[in-house]
Amino acid sequence: MDDVQERTIRVGNSLGLHARPAGKISQEAQRYAASISVHSGGMEADAKSILDLLSLAAPQGTELRLRAQGPDAAEAISSLTKMFEDMFGEDR
Amino acid sequence: MPSRTLYGIPVSAGIAIGKAYCLNRNHFSGMARQTLGQEDVPREMERLGRAFEAALLDLERILSLVPEDLKEHAAIIESHLMMLRDHKFRKRALDHIENTRINAEWALERAVGDLQEVFAAIADEYLRQRMQDVRLVAERVLGKLVGGEGGLNAITHRAILLAHDLSPADTIELDVNKIMAFATAQGGKTSHAGILARSLQIPAVVGVEGLGDDLAEGNIIILDGFHGRIILEPDEDELARYTDLQAQFESYQATIMRSCQLPAETIDGYRMQVLANIELFEEVVAVNDNGGEGIGLYRSEYSYMSHGGMPTEDELTEIYMDMASLVAPKKLVIRTLDVGADKLMRMQVPSEPNPALGLRAIRYCLKHRDVFRTQLRAILKASVLGNVSIMFPMISGLQELVEVKKFYREVQREMHAEGICFREDMPMGIMIEVPSAVITADFLAREVDFFSIGTNDLIQYSLGIDRTNKDVSYLYQPLHPAIVRSIKWVVDSAHRAGIEVCLCGELAADPFCIPVLMGMQVDSISLGPHAIPGIKRIVRQASMEECSALLKQVMTSQSVARNNKLVREMIFRRFPEELMFYSSLVDE
Repeated sequence: MDDVQERTIRVGNSLGLHARPAGKISQEAQRYAASISVHSGGMEADAKSILDLLSLAAPQGTELRLRAQGPDAAEAISSLTKMFEDMFGEDR
Repeated sequence: MPSRTLYGIPVSAGIAIGKAYCLNRNHFSGMARQTLGQEDVPREMERLGRAFEAALLDLERILSLVPEDLKEHAAIIESHLMMLRDHKFRKRALDHIENTRINAEWALERAVGDLQEVFAAIADEYLRQRMQDVRLVAERVLGKLVGGEGGLNAITHRAILLAHDLSPADTIELDVNKIMAFATAQGGKTSHAGILARSLQIPAVVGVEGLGDDLAEGNIIILDGFHGRIILEPDEDELARYTDLQAQFESYQATIMRSCQLPAETIDGYRMQVLANIELFEEVVAVNDNGGEGIGLYRSEYSYMSHGGMPTEDELTEIYMDMASLVAPKKLVIRTLDVGADKLMRMQVPSEPNPALGLRAIRYCLKHRDVFRTQLRAILKASVLGNVSIMFPMISGLQELVEVKKFYREVQREMHAEGICFREDMPMGIMIEVPSAVITADFLAREVDFFSIGTNDLIQYSLGIDRTNKDVSYLYQPLHPAIVRSIKWVVDSAHRAGIEVCLCGELAADPFCIPVLMGMQVDSISLGPHAIPGIKRIVRQASMEECSALLKQVMTSQSVARNNKLVREMIFRRFPEELMFYSSLVDE
């Protein structure tokens, strides 16, 4: 049975979801078998695609919905959430 | 047959005469569309997949070649790698082959086109510009599809490189032994390609209009890096004329290089310090080679703009420490962050209606204290090396300066409490580039250790013109009486307060303006490294007596035209060679 996990997070770093965080997220997401998507407004992006993530153009403060489906969905969500919470190592 | 001339922006001086080599000849605009038979589809998809893999291998190899001091390039190349690995992008291209039975080249272009549409809708300019990266990445794949030709490695003889654009990865691969000059269709005066050309000392022209794919490869062309011209199919007269000019320039170059390590001292003993403006590590070598006596302006923005995110305190400290040790024992003046909100905050704010008058430089830093604190701490940490000075840009008045100083002291106290070492008497200066700072220069001078006049912005703000606007750029007049008076007043105010004043900006590299600045007794000038030898030569051959006399005439003149005539006459009489090899801000 495929596990579906969802969580709402907020973009915290001041530069928003620009090239470096998008790269980090896509790299991390690729480590999981689960399919992972990021939703913002009416848009949906594949978390494993840097170009998709960039096209969300999500500035600081944007509310995003993470959604993962697959055997390791729970780990994927918690690891990605942590990246957002750490603000991708920025704004320290 | 008459020759054809293309015009662009000259970014690196010199003349090159040689065979043209077109990079990325198969740029998308010339791509043929083919429809495939159903049976060819799997093979075509495989071909595209292989091209992606080959491009990946190439880029990974280039990344491993990036020298330690070009770390900024590595970050860009890494993001290109991630785009190249983007499975969705690749799938999109493959889907186009499968669904519409088109050839791989065309499918790739369609995939780029799809993304282009998505990106075009993004309001944020920084993100929109990432499309440029997608294009560069796709071009690599395309290069593989068309048989690996057209790349930099394929160049077998010395040639003038013509390209749509040069990516950071391309510039790593540039072999000066093969490339005698280059021209690109993209790019502006401050583009990275230009900085690189100057540091490699090869002539270059960027932003060339009409530099398309129809250029016959292998033809002899002339590239004029003084005036920004590309002459296709030159006739014998032109070839002879430019060969002459090239020889003259080489001998002039040799002459000025021989004396560039000597002090900039006039024949009657007036000494001016000649410093350099830099942005990157690799430019320091050029500063030393060209006789720069220190760094008068280190633009600190690059570490913020290049890797996409905010650099950490440790990252900045390392950069500043490295730079200061590299420059030592000469001095290094670090200018704190001087960008507008439009560039730095990217998507965080709706774009400002008027960025030049908006939240930029020190205003941005005062509003975003966390960002400012990080940079101040890094600079203070680097101050222990002893040769570092700090400089704040865009100060508009005393109250703002007091505010900055207050915060600066606060950060110092914090560091003191944490037991972190720094040099308490690190020289602290400000840029004078806003008219209100000019007018109150006498007040400001009592509060700082030095002034640096930023003429580019000062001229823009004082004359109320945006010189990138073609319709008003004719009003960009460095010798406008208002500008001359402003600079004179700032220099005098500084000297009365007993502090030194430096002048940076293009004016400092303009041979026509140097005698006027010398007449004002500016203590130092700071300019692009490669302009130093020529400027030093003028200083060494001039006398303070004639410069003072010239200044006197200029100060009493009421018209720009008369000022321009005065300086041109002097240059014509005293330094005829400069007339030939330099383009000046002072028009005829």
